[in-house]
Amino acid sequence: MMNELKDPRKTFGEAVIEAAATNENIVVLSADSSSGSGLGDFPKKFPDRHFEFGIMEQGVIGFACGLATTGKIPVFAAIAPFVTARPFEMFRNDLGYMNQNAKIVGRCCGLTYDQLGATHHSIDDVAIIRTIPGVTIINPGDPVTIKKAVHAMISHVGPCYMKIGSPAMPVLYPEDVEFKLGKGIVVKDGKDIALIATGTVLSKAFAAAKLLEEAGVSVRLIDMHTLKPVDKELILSAAKEIGKIVTVEEHFIAGGLGSIVAEICSQECPAQIKMIGIGDKYASNGPYEELLRQHGLQPDQIYETTKKFLTT
Amino acid sequence: MDKKEILKLEYTALNVRRNILRLIRAGEAGHVGGALSSVEIMTALYFNLLRTDPKNPKWTQRDRFILSAGHKCLVLYSVLAEKGFFDKSILDTYGSLDAKIPGHPNMHKLPGVETNTGALGHGLSIAGGMALGFKLDKSDSKVFVLMGDGELAEGSNWEAASASSMHKLDNVVVFVDRNKLQISGPTIQVMSYEPLDERWRAFGWGVKVIDGHNFETIINTVKQAPFEKGKPSVIIADTIKSKGMSFAEGKVNYHYWKSKPEEMEQAERDLDVIEKQLKAKSEGAGL
Repeated sequence: MMNELKDPRKTFGEAVIEAAATNENIVVLSADSSSGSGLGDFPKKFPDRHFEFGIMEQGVIGFACGLATTGKIPVFAAIAPFVTARPFEMFRNDLGYMNQNAKIVGRCCGLTYDQLGATHHSIDDVAIIRTIPGVTIINPGDPVTIKKAVHAMISHVGPCYMKIGSPAMPVLYPEDVEFKLGKGIVVKDGKDIALIATGTVLSKAFAAAKLLEEAGVSVRLIDMHTLKPVDKELILSAAKEIGKIVTVEEHFIAGGLGSIVAEICSQECPAQIKMIGIGDKYASNGPYEELLRQHGLQPDQIYETTKKFLTT
Repeated sequence: MDKKEILKLEYTALNVRRNILRLIRAGEAGHVGGALSSVEIMTALYFNLLRTDPKNPKWTQRDRFILSAGHKCLVLYSVLAEKGFFDKSILDTYGSLDAKIPGHPNMHKLPGVETNTGALGHGLSIAGGMALGFKLDKSDSKVFVLMGDGELAEGSNWEAASASSMHKLDNVVVFVDRNKLQISGPTIQVMSYEPLDERWRAFGWGVKVIDGHNFETIINTVKQAPFEKGKPSVIIADTIKSKGMSFAEGKVNYHYWKSKPEEMEQAERDLDVIEKQLKAKSEGAGL
């Protein structure tokens, strides 16, 4: 049912268990993090394929690399900054440079660890991980695509980083929505503005697009669930056919979706771009929805920013 | 071990040292100190201990070797070339553009290289993952690791040390090349790891301390692994940095050697002396 709410971590964990039932190479590594990642049932179902390490994320990335060299498909999920910023060098060298088939999942990404503060927010993960050649970055924005993203990630051979949030997320897509790594989803076509969104704030962009439509603005709404390799074709067609793009992400503007779109457009088809995201400062702490408001990520704010941008 | 076998290994080690000089001649500089200190360990591994096939470097049943201290790559390249993993002419490309033998090893460029190391403190975790994979597959392949002693200051090693004992990875054998020197000076003055054997024991490992230049000791020790049932094994191998180059042995400033022509000539003469000694030894023993 559209707009039913689902727990992204639970959805993720169920999808991994589903995949592991038919693919015996899948193993799960935990840095005291499986139960908090929706994988609490995995060791019950597959006790020989779940390895607990305690809180040592750098080492777990290395173990994932070693396991991958023997043909296993390690899945390692933990709090997003602890699998990206903390073990960055292990990610870069052991998984990226060695090109190993490991699946790293940053959960409670973005600001979703709301009141826990900046140590637990992950608003730089896309910026840093996308500098690693060969890594696929997946940022699904609803429970249906989270599930599809897990299966796509397992089928893909190569290092992957996937982001999932924490609060319950609205179901935005029907079960049969087509999901392909590297191919954005055109949710609806339009001619006045291209709204490109990713991940946890995709639902906010959906709601903002509805407000804009109601105000007579024709919106092309794009879900950019894969940030690397990004769907360049879709970005360039928006630049060419519409010329005005708004990006929406729960991430630093520096290095995230907005930067990705700007890097492509500035070189191949200059367009006007408005980037909605987090500026050069630490996010504060507090209720999640209020934090999003502090950074202009609520639907009415995206609507206002877009309306203003359309007059420039 | 019979004397003939040991003598053969000593000749191989001499060739490996000659290969290291060949690399330095090509590249004019390199991390020579830690390469020379681990020649006997590496020669024993590749010419006696490791299950490996240079004609089939991806053989699934092979043992794995991880050079955690990636800057010791000169000895890895020299041993792999000596073993026949690739043509020795590749050694003459050290330092050139796109060489298959970079200043730290790259598994995508050269057969026989298992990991891309260079940043310290990565090898032990990777080894643990491999060992875990072998256990899952019920494979009897082992994972060997060579670490430097300066490298032990990296905290990530101790994450891996805990996890390897926790997961009972008795198919891991680690050498610590304890040559006791790092860039800034004696390792225990830069960041002490002592008491090193007790430290590893406290982390749940079986430990042996040996002379890292004695083939018989190296080989007999490895053959005893696992030293304790269900535990990973570490061999603390006491060595001399830059072993075999008379003017550089035990000196801190040859960690990275930018060779001068007169030094290179001396290094070659030093190896000639070793060769004469080996000849005398083999004749004396009637071999």
